[in-house]
Amino acid sequence: MRRRLRTYLDRAFTGSSLLSILMMSAALVIILAPMMYRGSKAVLFRGTVEFRKMQLNEPMFHRGNSQAIAEETERTEAARKPVYDLLERFGALLDTELSQKRARRLYRELKKQLRNRVENGEISQDRCDELQGRAKQLRNALVDAYEAGDNETAQRKLAVVLEPGNSALLAGTVGEQLVGEAGSYAEILQTMDLSQRGLYRREYLAVKDIVGKLLGPPPEQRGQAHLTEFRYGATRWDRARQLLDELLWKTTWAAQENGGALSEGRTKRADLFRQTQLARLFDIIERDAEKMLAPKRTFYWQYFIDDCTPGHLFGGVGPEILGTVLLTALAIGFSVPLGIVSAAYLIECKRDSCFVRAVRVCINTLAGVPSIVFGLFGLAFFLDWLPARAPWLGFRPGSNILAGALTLAILVLPIIIRASEEAIRSVPRTYKEAALATGAGGLRTFLTVTLPAALPGILTGIVLSLGRAAGETAPILFTAAVAWRMGMPRSLLEGGTRALSYSSYDVAVGDRVAMDAPHNQYGMVMTLVLLVLLLNMFAIVIRSRVARKLRGQ
Amino acid sequence: MQPARASTLSAEPVAGNSAAAGFDRPLLLTPGRDLAGFVGRLVGKAVLAGVASVSILAVLLIFAFITYRAWPFFAEGGLVEMLGSSQWYPTHDQAEFGALSMFYGSGIVTLGAMVVAVPLGLLAAVCLSDVMSFGIRQYAKPVIEILAAIPSVAYGFFAVLVVAPWLQQRWGMDTGTNALNAAGVLAIMALPTIISISEDAISAVGRDLREGAYALGSTRAETMVKVVIPAAHSGIVAGIVLGIMRAVGETMAVWMASGMSAQIPSRWWDLGQSVRTLTATIAQEMGEAPKGGSHRQALFALGFTLLAITFCLNMVSEYFLARAKRPAKAKSK
Repeated sequence: MRRRLRTYLDRAFTGSSLLSILMMSAALVIILAPMMYRGSKAVLFRGTVEFRKMQLNEPMFHRGNSQAIAEETERTEAARKPVYDLLERFGALLDTELSQKRARRLYRELKKQLRNRVENGEISQDRCDELQGRAKQLRNALVDAYEAGDNETAQRKLAVVLEPGNSALLAGTVGEQLVGEAGSYAEILQTMDLSQRGLYRREYLAVKDIVGKLLGPPPEQRGQAHLTEFRYGATRWDRARQLLDELLWKTTWAAQENGGALSEGRTKRADLFRQTQLARLFDIIERDAEKMLAPKRTFYWQYFIDDCTPGHLFGGVGPEILGTVLLTALAIGFSVPLGIVSAAYLIECKRDSCFVRAVRVCINTLAGVPSIVFGLFGLAFFLDWLPARAPWLGFRPGSNILAGALTLAILVLPIIIRASEEAIRSVPRTYKEAALATGAGGLRTFLTVTLPAALPGILTGIVLSLGRAAGETAPILFTAAVAWRMGMPRSLLEGGTRALSYSSYDVAVGDRVAMDAPHNQYGMVMTLVLLVLLLNMFAIVIRSRVARKLRGQ
Repeated sequence: MQPARASTLSAEPVAGNSAAAGFDRPLLLTPGRDLAGFVGRLVGKAVLAGVASVSILAVLLIFAFITYRAWPFFAEGGLVEMLGSSQWYPTHDQAEFGALSMFYGSGIVTLGAMVVAVPLGLLAAVCLSDVMSFGIRQYAKPVIEILAAIPSVAYGFFAVLVVAPWLQQRWGMDTGTNALNAAGVLAIMALPTIISISEDAISAVGRDLREGAYALGSTRAETMVKVVIPAAHSGIVAGIVLGIMRAVGETMAVWMASGMSAQIPSRWWDLGQSVRTLTATIAQEMGEAPKGGSHRQALFALGFTLLAITFCLNMVSEYFLARAKRPAKAKSK
């Protein structure tokens, strides 16, 4: 019995230890998979014609076959025309002020016309006064009808205008048009409930807004918008689908009685506009959306070199990659020579002197300093103290690339020293002894024998610290990174740069980009993780080769 | 450039390098060349020592500058206020800098992370060193390396955009960015440190101890729990301390995942509440703190305490690492 229990315990122990490794692998997959999958959508997606138009027209990108895009634009515009027409007509209906203005304008024209006729002697002054008085009545009635809040009043007022005598009386003048307007309004009234007009107007504006986001502004308003996002419709088919859903279904949030979370309700927008002319719009868009947007599979590899519009709504991560590479390369450039020399000194010169022990303690301390403290140090030293006390060094108080790179260099220094030390130590003693026996001195032995033999190991350390430096955010937070700037700074000291790591933070907490361009959020972090992972894979490959070589010998 | 040339110091000419040409050189160095070689070697060593002392310089500079910036705050008796109250109103007219809630936040998040990461990490270390065969270990190790390599901001991104909505929707929490979220992310981030160092320590326990235990009839679990882990405890403790350091010093992931509200919940163990850590406070507020103002000094003071905490933890881990190495040496003597 006891023995069986022990066996079970043993198995449970083995199982749970295996489980822990499995759990970690699962965690890795759970963390990386959504980032990679959703991030890949920033590069591989179905781009609509709006995307191609943007790529062609925006000076930031400026690429694409203009002829093909022009043809495509023509086709899609043809499909879109009914939508814009419907929207415009319905909008004119709802705009009572516009209708009233039109009625007043017609009346003024009539007055002018009548005065002309009197001057020409076609009609008498009395006749003119009579006509004008009548027209004024009609105009007032029509304006009242436009203003009326319910169908009954409006129809009563219209009836005054539409009395059969009127058109006969005003025949041959502009007044006819006045009556015509009233006629078409009466027709509309049969399909529209005036008491709902406020609601219609609100809903109409929402619909117009969504259609604007989906298809871009109507043709006559193109190019007026200042921001890129208002100049084009949905550039991606997934976004278009989302907007289409938003257009067809209105989502309302209602407070629950027990004070819990808001509950979601969906109504069909077509039902809101039932029996009006606009109801057709939804069918048209739903049916012809693909024709209007012409989605095509797009491989947007330029994502990795393109600049983006403010807020990371459109475009790529080019400057971020450039900034990260610059910061990382500079940091490694500073710390690699220092690191290798330090490691060589630690190993080759006096093994256990007091100084060497102090250096070791300091390296370990440095490795344990939190990254944010490096950032604080960089701020206090490179941005506050140096510009004030040593202006001849050229540091300026604003954040700049050099300060960030130097801060990162201190951060990765212990990693490089440790890796180099390990690599140099793992070179077999016999190599060194053989070199010394041939008469080479200490320095020559190190440079021509030990260092080349240790180089793969050192390289592994360098590549790993490249990954570390590229991913660090806190040290460059105050020293080098900015959330937004146009392009790159002109010199290393001129100003801060965008960097993948800090921008990943910035897009992760940004509301606009989360709502309108979630693929760009994930694209940014995917680029960062890919960069770091590639560097690490590279390091793992180098190391396994070295291990194989060492085992072979 | 490098005066410490090897051939000048060796008494006989070098055959390998200058072949036959070396034979007509004098066998003995002239006093001048001897002196030059001696001085050159000394200078070379001094230069090397100078380069090697860059890390000492860096540590000194870091400590000096953080202390220098934080000093005005401490000089005005800020330490008592910082540790004695949880009223953090840095931008008020009557600014208050009570950082107790940040200390609480850092503490609870680290504690939560360690509760998960320590057992899991130990199990994984045991698994890597004693359970898995060499072939499978080749594939398991990169998993841990990649976990260690993923940038902290990517972990934070995951916490904000994936975990937080999930916590809110699936588990009905008031807010998705809370201590639980931060602790979970930190646990994953601290795991690689704990695993790699504990695994080294467990592997370093010799075969003799293991075989002795097996010979006495104990199962693998008993061998591990009763013999190997106690024998490797110094290294394991060092690994855990380093893991704690990583968790305390972590900035980005915690900044994004913790929710940033400076409060101590009425029930201190309530992980569902938003908290705020020392690191995240510095990261968040430094951009807005005017230069030379008391707010900035207070943030540097927070940075100083952070530095002091990690320095102490580092000393502890050094002590245990040194102890972990000592018995092996003693045995070999």
